[in-house]
Amino acid sequence: MSNHEEHTEVHIGLRGYFAVFMILVVGTILTYLTSQMDLDIVFPGANTLLALGIAFTKMTFVILYFMHVRWQGRLIWLTALGSFFWIGIIFAFTMQDYLTRSVGNFPK
Amino acid sequence: MESVTAVGERNVVENPTTNYLNNGYSIWSWLLTKDHKRIAVMYLIVVSVFFMIGGLYAGAIRLELLTPQSDLLESGIYNKVFTQHGVIMAFFFLIPAIPAILGNFLIPLMIGAKDLALPRINLLSWYIYMIGGSLVLFALIQGGIDTGWTFYTPYSSTFSNTYVLIAGLGIFVNGFSSILTGLNFIVTIHTMRAPGITWFRLPLFVWAHYATSLVMILGTPVIAITILLLALERVAHVGIFDPAIGGDPILFQHLFWFYSHPAVYIMILPSMGVISELISNYSRKKIFGYEFIAFSSIAIAVFGFVVWGHHLFVSGQSPYAGMVFSFLTMVVAIPSAIKMFNWTATLYKGSISYDTPMLYAMGFMGLFLIGGLTGLFLGSMGLDVHLTDTYFVVAHFHYVMVGGTVLGYLGGIHAWWPKMFGRMYSEFWGKISAMLVFIGFNLTFFPQFILGYLGMPRRYASYPPEFQVLNIFSSAGASILGVGLVLPVIYLTYSLFFGKKAPANPFLLPGLEWRTSSPPPTENFRVRPVVTWEAYDFGDENGLDRTEAPKVQD
Amino acid sequence: MTTNAAEHALEHHYHPPGLQHQFDDMKQQEESVSIGMWMFLAQEIMFFGGLFTVYLVFRSRFPMAFAAGSNHLDAFWGGLNTLVLIVSSLTMALTVYYAQRGDRMKQVILIILTMFFGTVFLGVKAIEYTDKYNHGLVPISGWNKRTTDSGAGAKEHSSLVLPIETRVEASEAAPAIEAPHSNKRGEFQWTDVSLVKEAQEGGFLTENEKISYFSGGEIDANKFRDKVQIFYWIYFAMTGLHALHMVIGLALMTWLLWKAFQGTFSAEYYSPVEMSGLYWHFVDIVWIFLFPLLYLLGRHFLHGGGH
Repeated sequence: MSNHEEHTEVHIGLRGYFAVFMILVVGTILTYLTSQMDLDIVFPGANTLLALGIAFTKMTFVILYFMHVRWQGRLIWLTALGSFFWIGIIFAFTMQDYLTRSVGNFPK
Repeated sequence: MESVTAVGERNVVENPTTNYLNNGYSIWSWLLTKDHKRIAVMYLIVVSVFFMIGGLYAGAIRLELLTPQSDLLESGIYNKVFTQHGVIMAFFFLIPAIPAILGNFLIPLMIGAKDLALPRINLLSWYIYMIGGSLVLFALIQGGIDTGWTFYTPYSSTFSNTYVLIAGLGIFVNGFSSILTGLNFIVTIHTMRAPGITWFRLPLFVWAHYATSLVMILGTPVIAITILLLALERVAHVGIFDPAIGGDPILFQHLFWFYSHPAVYIMILPSMGVISELISNYSRKKIFGYEFIAFSSIAIAVFGFVVWGHHLFVSGQSPYAGMVFSFLTMVVAIPSAIKMFNWTATLYKGSISYDTPMLYAMGFMGLFLIGGLTGLFLGSMGLDVHLTDTYFVVAHFHYVMVGGTVLGYLGGIHAWWPKMFGRMYSEFWGKISAMLVFIGFNLTFFPQFILGYLGMPRRYASYPPEFQVLNIFSSAGASILGVGLVLPVIYLTYSLFFGKKAPANPFLLPGLEWRTSSPPPTENFRVRPVVTWEAYDFGDENGLDRTEAPKVQD
Repeated sequence: MTTNAAEHALEHHYHPPGLQHQFDDMKQQEESVSIGMWMFLAQEIMFFGGLFTVYLVFRSRFPMAFAAGSNHLDAFWGGLNTLVLIVSSLTMALTVYYAQRGDRMKQVILIILTMFFGTVFLGVKAIEYTDKYNHGLVPISGWNKRTTDSGAGAKEHSSLVLPIETRVEASEAAPAIEAPHSNKRGEFQWTDVSLVKEAQEGGFLTENEKISYFSGGEIDANKFRDKVQIFYWIYFAMTGLHALHMVIGLALMTWLLWKAFQGTFSAEYYSPVEMSGLYWHFVDIVWIFLFPLLYLLGRHFLHGGGH
């Protein structure tokens, strides 16, 4: 049976895995170093945004290459993307409550 | 190319000597089975037991509420009774019943497969259910819980001195049963369909279970983590729901209802799937608007995730968030309405037979209509301020849960009983029970709409005397409903031993599950079906016709 | 295909190793287990998602308390752990690579390496947790090291003291607790309100914080301590759940090692390796997010930052 080649054979090779690994390591070091720098002068929350951006990038590489999603069919893509969308729902709809609450007058 | 009748002929053995029921008699052949049909039967037994226990608690509630004073059960005990009624019914009956019993039994048959994709996971689901159920029963026996099935903090996390931890652990464990069942169904529906069964040839029962499974997988883990956080807070005596240190009790409600609202769609979607089958089968007419019903199932599953804040309107949630949730609650009603219209259109000019399953199906349509519409009342913020935590809410959810899910469940059990056990039940008693259930149910719960509107609060053992008459009606109705629910246990069990043997397809229905023996062999089909026809195909060329279904002698 | 052929097809053709009875062929089995594992990961994402939601809610309410708490986590160990997990992800991916090629020896070595790094991760977590215990940062009363009085070597009631005191960067700035401090009941301890002062001066306290950290217009150290306690609660809940998943992962790897050692996997049948890999990478991804969100929040305040 040759079908296992079509859907699971990954064309990345050893070198590819090591390349992704290096990207992940570089990303980690970058996250650590930039966290020490005050980027809030650029805009408030820049540090967090950058750290999350790097984390998302690292995650994307792990998902696409280590988890082989790059070579998978539509259903797996839909599952992976859909899960993030769903987490987005719980974040967004919960935060829309907390962000629109008025803080109230408490006795000093 | 196999024609329908050819498949039927090859797969059907009337009065089969070997079928899944007698393929091995030892206890281990059942407890270690991988056969989805046996697992479904094991679920049937245990789910029925839990239903009875939940029903006993309901009986206690209605008995207490005959009089305005809390004379039968004092408040603390009454709190335990309604809590336990809710916990058992919601988690151990409503959520698993149709998927684990009818879904497990029928989905492989309806898609022409030998079994589910992951049979051992299916068995694991059953064991997990047993463990979770045992833990909760243990908690009940030790002294029970009194927090309400909603476990709101800070009462459940800080003040309640009842067995919240053990019960919570039981519910946590049980959640994984649900998750694994959902996972199994999705995989099965994707990969195990017989040749020729395209997505739009699937019965709507299968579509409904696919949508349900999505909800099970995406929603249940959140209740799991919520219970875990609650348990940690109880043990640690400090935590994120504790306002004393800056925590937020409403966060618990957000997390709880993120699952528990979609959970009600887990409860209703499979029932709607059953109804689609029953309406079509018992009007001997192809379902109207197949794609609309299929897609509306998915729409309900998806939209069901963004409306949970309608349980938090008066909790302290921001009114702006409330507006968003209120609007979306109106939107989520639309796909359900679409289904109702399509079912009605199916009935039009159909050849309707008033067999027991059809009585349940038609009952569903009327009761779910009322339940669904009253949900809209509750979904408008202003009205909800008046109605929340009153009997109006109790009536609403019982209309959809009992009028909806239980009727669908009973209709399905009756419709597929001949297939599952190879026996015909007594139509006479079936019809009597269906009518008792319908009448009893309405007498129980309709007065509660009025009581709620008049202001009677829920979860109270005592009430103002002017509400007594309506409460008596309600309790009277409950006794009729109780009889109607107990009768099937008797006559269905009786049919197992003394019922007429069922032919493979007693009503000449087009579903693939009817083209194999009753009961089916362990491998479901002796010859692998190759499907060349559309779903609900009552047309002449397939050997079925639109005349009356054969009358079954009682 | 005639019925006869259909009926007999399954009995007479080659039966691949590991093919389960409900499946027609390996392709169907592999597809099924793959979808099944991804569905499981989807529910795992929602499981952790609940905790991330809790984090999001409290971080948005009490950013300074979070920054302060975060500064007393050792980013060095956290960062090291991140690298350790990334290496283990590499060895896991390579395990799948060699399983596909049927190379039994390399599979086994790589699984052992994966397990090694996973264990290192857990070891570092143990060190970190013990450090919290020693410094009164466990958010549960009674679960911290009990000390009767100040100063060096008060060891009467302590049960676990590590020879290595882990470096805590923030200690250059200000200790969490003034040095001479007893903790008779093992309470959560925190007195450092410097970040609140900084935020107050810089004008970047949130509306919520302006009320929550203050009593009568003055900074209330106890109220601030409570909010930092929430941070640590979330820290322990999230990293604890993650560590539990690592333990489950190690158990999975043990089973996989046994099977690989027996030569079960080959080019024809290696999906258990691939599926285990998916689980392992998922656990890695969760940590990729936990690290910056928990450890690196307020670092920029320590290095002369603040706006």
